[in-house]
Amino acid sequence: MGLEIKLTVNGNTHTAELEPSTALVDFLRDTLGYKGVKLCCNTGECGACTIIMDGKPVNSCVVLGADAAGADLVTVEGIADGDELHPVQQAFIDTGAVQCGYCTPGFIVSLKALLDRTKSPTAEDVEEAISGNICRCTGYTKIFDAVDLAAKRMS
Amino acid sequence: MAKAEYTVLGTDMPRKGGVERVVGKGVYGIDLNLPDALSGGVLRSEHAHAKIVNIDTSEAKAIPGVRAVVTAADAPDVRYGRSYIDRYILAKDKVRYMGDPVAAVAADSQALVKEALGKIKVTYEPLPVVVDPEETMKESAPTIHEDMPLPKNLPEGVQVKNVCGYAAVNIGDAEAAMAEADVVVDEVYETKMIHPQYLEPRIAAARPEEDGRITVWANAQAPFPVRTEVASLTGLPLNSVRVISTGIGGGFGGKGSGVTSSAGLEPICALLALTAKQPVMIVMDKAEETISTTIRSGCKIWIKTGAKKDGTLVARQGKVVYDAGGYSGFGNQAGGRCTQMVGGWYRLPNIHMDGFTVYTNKQVCGPVRGPGGPQATFAMESHMDSLAAELGMDPIEFRLKNVPEKGDGIVGVPKLRDSSLAETLNTAKEKIGWGKVKLGKNQGIGFATGAWIEGAGPGGGAVVKMNEDGSATVHIGKVDYGTAAPFGIPMIVAEVLGISTDDVTVLNVDTDASPWDAGTVGSRSMLVSGNAVKLAAEDARDQILRMAAGQLEASPEDLEIVDRQIQVKGAPSRSVSLASVCNAGHNEIGDVIGRGYFDSKASQADERERGSSQPFTTHAALVEVDADTGNVKILKYVAVHDVGFVVHPKAVEGQIEGAAAMSLGQALCEQVVHDSDGRTLNPTFVDYLMPTINMLPRIEAVTVSGYPGAGPYGTKGAGEIGSVPPMACIANAIYNATGVRVRRLPLSPENVLRALREAGK
Repeated sequence: MGLEIKLTVNGNTHTAELEPSTALVDFLRDTLGYKGVKLCCNTGECGACTIIMDGKPVNSCVVLGADAAGADLVTVEGIADGDELHPVQQAFIDTGAVQCGYCTPGFIVSLKALLDRTKSPTAEDVEEAISGNICRCTGYTKIFDAVDLAAKRMS
Repeated sequence: MAKAEYTVLGTDMPRKGGVERVVGKGVYGIDLNLPDALSGGVLRSEHAHAKIVNIDTSEAKAIPGVRAVVTAADAPDVRYGRSYIDRYILAKDKVRYMGDPVAAVAADSQALVKEALGKIKVTYEPLPVVVDPEETMKESAPTIHEDMPLPKNLPEGVQVKNVCGYAAVNIGDAEAAMAEADVVVDEVYETKMIHPQYLEPRIAAARPEEDGRITVWANAQAPFPVRTEVASLTGLPLNSVRVISTGIGGGFGGKGSGVTSSAGLEPICALLALTAKQPVMIVMDKAEETISTTIRSGCKIWIKTGAKKDGTLVARQGKVVYDAGGYSGFGNQAGGRCTQMVGGWYRLPNIHMDGFTVYTNKQVCGPVRGPGGPQATFAMESHMDSLAAELGMDPIEFRLKNVPEKGDGIVGVPKLRDSSLAETLNTAKEKIGWGKVKLGKNQGIGFATGAWIEGAGPGGGAVVKMNEDGSATVHIGKVDYGTAAPFGIPMIVAEVLGISTDDVTVLNVDTDASPWDAGTVGSRSMLVSGNAVKLAAEDARDQILRMAAGQLEASPEDLEIVDRQIQVKGAPSRSVSLASVCNAGHNEIGDVIGRGYFDSKASQADERERGSSQPFTTHAALVEVDADTGNVKILKYVAVHDVGFVVHPKAVEGQIEGAAAMSLGQALCEQVVHDSDGRTLNPTFVDYLMPTINMLPRIEAVTVSGYPGAGPYGTKGAGEIGSVPPMACIANAIYNATGVRVRRLPLSPENVLRALREAGK
């Protein structure tokens, strides 16, 4: 084993060892057990592994685990308030935006990061925020609907 | 069938399993935690066509921590396939595409797997590579499969090579009728290979059990065909193989065709586990998948149609050359369906089509969402617009002139129970604003219709097991990847049993416990499992009512279940709880187990007698073409469908929108690109372009009342038909905007601009 790093994930502090070459997605999934972070393209293109790192959404497959030393991370597991879903999570369910659901964590994290930045995002803001997330099931229509519903409920 | 008749059906209940998926607790194949599992990996061919002279695994085997290295020599001498049994578990003697599995390794870590794969020395003798199916058919082409015969049904005198499937359509006398036509249009269309690119990578895991059995986990759409092939290819008896379906992150047919679709990943993993005598798990890399797993084939389509001056279609002739890839895979089935669909779904009394499915040195054809249909329709429905233009007719009026009616036959369907094609055309016309909306410069509107033949096909069962609290546990053979299993199926059970969908648990497939099923494919979940589960729930209800009848001193026919209470119809105060009857049942019959099955024979007989009920669709698009860049922007998109009775409106819309989006991706940008050596040039998501949210409009899915289908309560399949019209729809809109007909996919800026320049625009 190589480095020992300390980081915060969803408010929990972890200290763990990792190889310097380990991608953050693998470290989060395999070492720390945050399997809601989804593995897919490994090239930073699909957004399935999106997490929030020090306030910014990042594709964790193209970030080294070692770069998360001292960082404050939020994964999809850290977005609900206990049993109470975040409005975006509830809206995804209510609008039928979850089909296979594999891309869902990435979309929810990207939208959470957007809403953390701005309380009233424009349509362009939304499109930009999730233009790096690929969904192959829905054709995005129900995801547009979910965003609209969440915005309505939050305003 | 008004919604008011039902309590549950027709509502938008939340997806089963939705909450865990939005909080990141959804468990997919890739999340499988198999204690003490070794990592596995596959060595893939670096040549698209070569003889294997020798494979030396000694160095790889000598690495400490490497627990198994296998080649074809370690497996029974058995091949697999659908129409042609032409493929070994691992390539033997020859490789036939770049990505063909050659050897596999299981080791203590992924790093060791990689190291060992690198130490396997394969000596190849390269052979000439053919990537173009038209070239491959020629006598001068290299032979791809030495011991595979030409199809038995090839017409006499046809001189071809490397053909692994032939399909014909022969209706009336097309040649004679063509001579009588006032207008004849003759065109050639071409589509490219795409990969379904479901987001969750393929996995396989296998664990040898103490009793000599093996458990296999797969994120496959067809666990029972996987079981058959794992048994056959490893030499184990069928009852020694148990396949458990994991959660599945997308498939679209790409995870559908037994082990073919995964390039044999499940049996390879089982072979490694049996050799190492330890559990093994393999996770594919997405780039590895793009080059090795099954795809939607490219094809070339020749289509010639004659019509009378008034627009009446009189004859069609044509040919399809469909790319099977290195093995037959699903090629024969998809190529055959493509050939039929070029024949079309209009009234057309004289049709002759020849369809050839051809081996090439490329990835293998699979059943990707509407196999053969989107390609056929790109040609057929673009061609209908060309004909309308030649006739000087409105494209909608021209189609309406030729729509089939009740009792008519269309290619592949001897007799239609009814037809809703005109209804979808008229609705699409109205929704897009044809003739009303003011078009800007370089803006245009296009239409394309679609069909997706629904037939009896394989049967399938369902079991509804009542628990003592009145809840129900349901076994079906279809997997949950976001289609009927978590939406329509629990709703049907709840409706029949008078319970809530919260009281219904639908289990994922375990071949040791679930009823057999051909797979979650072919838009058949509602037809097969929906019909089966309705009958199973009714069987359970009948058993419950018989037991309750004594207590309520009424006959079972006079009882109903409402909101978990069994009551006398018209006298609801005379009631007993469902839970108490199920509980008391323990002392009478153990538990209530309802059984039902989709009766394929009865369905066929019904089709013969009353005609077959089919889904129909029309899509309409408003686009803007940038004449300087060739970029096509879709401003509005309407997908009008007759899918019969709609059990869960949002789920059905989601299927239509998703299917349309996948074909819009193929229309605008998607393609797998090869060089002349058969190398895939764009295996990763960096180079394989797919639609993102900013490329697509909000697709407006509209369901019309149509007429009832063969599914439960009159449903029709909705999973694939949405993928049928979009490519032609966009091509027709580009034509309407620019007057230029693009006959080659994708309708990318490059191809559109080239077509505009060639037309002098």
